[in-house]
Amino acid sequence: MISLQNIEKVYRTDTIQTLALNNISLDVAKGEFLSIMGPSGCGKSTLLNIMGLLDVPSKGNISISNQQTHNMNDKQLAGFRNKKLGFIFQSYHLINDLQVIDNVELPLLYRDTTAKQRRELAAEALEKVGLSNRMKHFPTQLSGGQRQRVAIARAIVGRPEIILADEPTGNLDSVMGNEIMDILTGLNQNDGTTIVMVTHDENMARKTHRLVRLFDGSQVQ
Amino acid sequence: MIKHLFKLIWNKKKQNFLLLSEIFISFMVIFGVFSFGVYAYKNYMAPMNIKYENVWVINYSNTLKTENADSLEMFYSSLKQNIQALPGVIEASYTSANFPYSTSMMNNGITYKGKQYFGVNNYRVDDDYLKTLGGNLIEGRWYRKADGAGKERVIVINKKLKDDVFGSGSAIGKYIDGNNSKDGRRVIGVVDDMKNFGDYQPAKYGMFERIDTSYRKWVGNMLVKVKPGADAAFEGKLYKTMANALKNSNIEIEHLDDKLSSTNKFTLVPLIILSIIAAFLIINVALGLFGVLWYNINKRRGEIGLRRAIGASGNSVSGQLVAESLILATLSLLIGSFFAAQFPLLNVFDLPAMVYVIALLMAVVFIYLLVFVCALYPGRQAANIYPAVALHEE
Ligand SMILES: Nc1ncnc2c1ncn2[C@@H]1O[C@H](COP(=O)(O)OP(=O)(O)OP(=O)(O)O)[C@@H](O)[C@H]1O
Ligand SMILES: [Mg+2]
Repeated sequence: MISLQNIEKVYRTDTIQTLALNNISLDVAKGEFLSIMGPSGCGKSTLLNIMGLLDVPSKGNISISNQQTHNMNDKQLAGFRNKKLGFIFQSYHLINDLQVIDNVELPLLYRDTTAKQRRELAAEALEKVGLSNRMKHFPTQLSGGQRQRVAIARAIVGRPEIILADEPTGNLDSVMGNEIMDILTGLNQNDGTTIVMVTHDENMARKTHRLVRLFDGSQVQ
Repeated sequence: MIKHLFKLIWNKKKQNFLLLSEIFISFMVIFGVFSFGVYAYKNYMAPMNIKYENVWVINYSNTLKTENADSLEMFYSSLKQNIQALPGVIEASYTSANFPYSTSMMNNGITYKGKQYFGVNNYRVDDDYLKTLGGNLIEGRWYRKADGAGKERVIVINKKLKDDVFGSGSAIGKYIDGNNSKDGRRVIGVVDDMKNFGDYQPAKYGMFERIDTSYRKWVGNMLVKVKPGADAAFEGKLYKTMANALKNSNIEIEHLDDKLSSTNKFTLVPLIILSIIAAFLIINVALGLFGVLWYNINKRRGEIGLRRAIGASGNSVSGQLVAESLILATLSLLIGSFFAAQFPLLNVFDLPAMVYVIALLMAVVFIYLLVFVCALYPGRQAANIYPAVALHEE
């Protein structure tokens, strides 16, 4: 599903050069639930961003669904992210000026859909994460766990094949974290969605199919 | 997408209020400046209908002791003949003090069929006035010598007055200020509107009355059309001719083209000052607009990053930001147009409604362009935000 070959990422600032990823090769199978762990600053987010085509590697190739991505222009990449990928972030990244339902609809705005279709799909996604009764709320009126569930609804509303989650439970207590984890596991088992999740929590990682450990930009396991 | 943007703007109405009012105020100022500008331009485009080049005006004071109207008349008509006989003179005419580009005004009202018309400029002139100024007769005839002897009171009016009083029909033979030859005045001619108040002021209602013997002693101006190239020496000769005839009189000779340019300045200076103030205001607003949009975009880096992540291309992000600004502009312009429309509806400054309409359309286009230009650069900048970086920041 996702294939990374010899990925290297170097960040250059005026004074220093950081090797964030060093020769990473990784294959994620269709339907797999993969977790990535490692100490802070080891390059987990960088790796996830590169998988999600939000960032370009300094070296190496990425293909997703057997499609090479390095030749794609900005518009093609945007379309690809929109259709194939769903993102979940540690800090939710909801738009506070939009109601829950409008936040969930957001990815569909960048597709050919009617307002009615968007409404239906968003309601369905919110149903899946158990937030049907919060559609008209604004994000600031929700708890952290609820916000993350809205973010998950937004990630799945476009029915992507892959979900990339960067510490989705990082800001939540263990009860809420487990709820989120259950939703992700459900998506993986019932819908066959491929999931790559960055986490700091061994317990969460244990619930996934496979664990990849990074240290200083290199894969150690 | 438009609906989505409306929602976003509506939900942020508090933040957008400042921008909204800023655009609104600049629109009103621009509208005001454009209104006066369009008005001045419209007036400028109307034909002058005065051939003022080489026309001089002699100002004199009547120093004759005689009170006898007939001998006054004889004296002044022979003085005019002497002037006309000078080799450099083409034509000459007596006039009341409200000759073109002078600062004098003489206003009357007239009635026609019971309806009153106010603000009619009353010009006291003689038989050679129209020729001296090169005006155009549209209908009927100008004054001639015989009009002085006739018992009937006759009048020449200008086109503007004729159009308003008599409409599209002919005015010749109609009576104003009465119904018949006994108490009314018969219209014998209609002349094209002359822009007596300069290039940038419209022609107003006008009627021309022949100077009669009883009015003679009040007259203190003579228009003289001289041959091209008439110089200071000739002006001196003209002066001497007048001074010899009118002992102890205050005589002054001015040129109509000089009077025109000072009249024009008088109209234009306020407009120029207004434009300069407006220009500063616009620069201010443009910077403010630019600043607010810039600030908004920086404040919304997280949102922009997110939109990029879920499928917005760089172009669609910058398009969205420009579109949001244009929607805001549209809202301000709707409110602004409502207020602007009150000017013609309530006839605030007595300008033609068409002037306001054109100024309004121009101001709308101007504001859209201004907002578009101010939004474009911040919008482009937003398109260049790396999604990974923007998402990382929050
Ligand atoms: N935009 C950037 N410019 C320069 N250096 C960066 C940038 N983004 C990340 N880095 C550096 O790259 C390395 C990897 O960062 P990354 O965010 O991937 O770490 P992480 O494993 O996700 O850490 P955490 O667990 O704290 O989220 C770090 O040393 C970081 O300082
Ligand atoms: Mg990270």
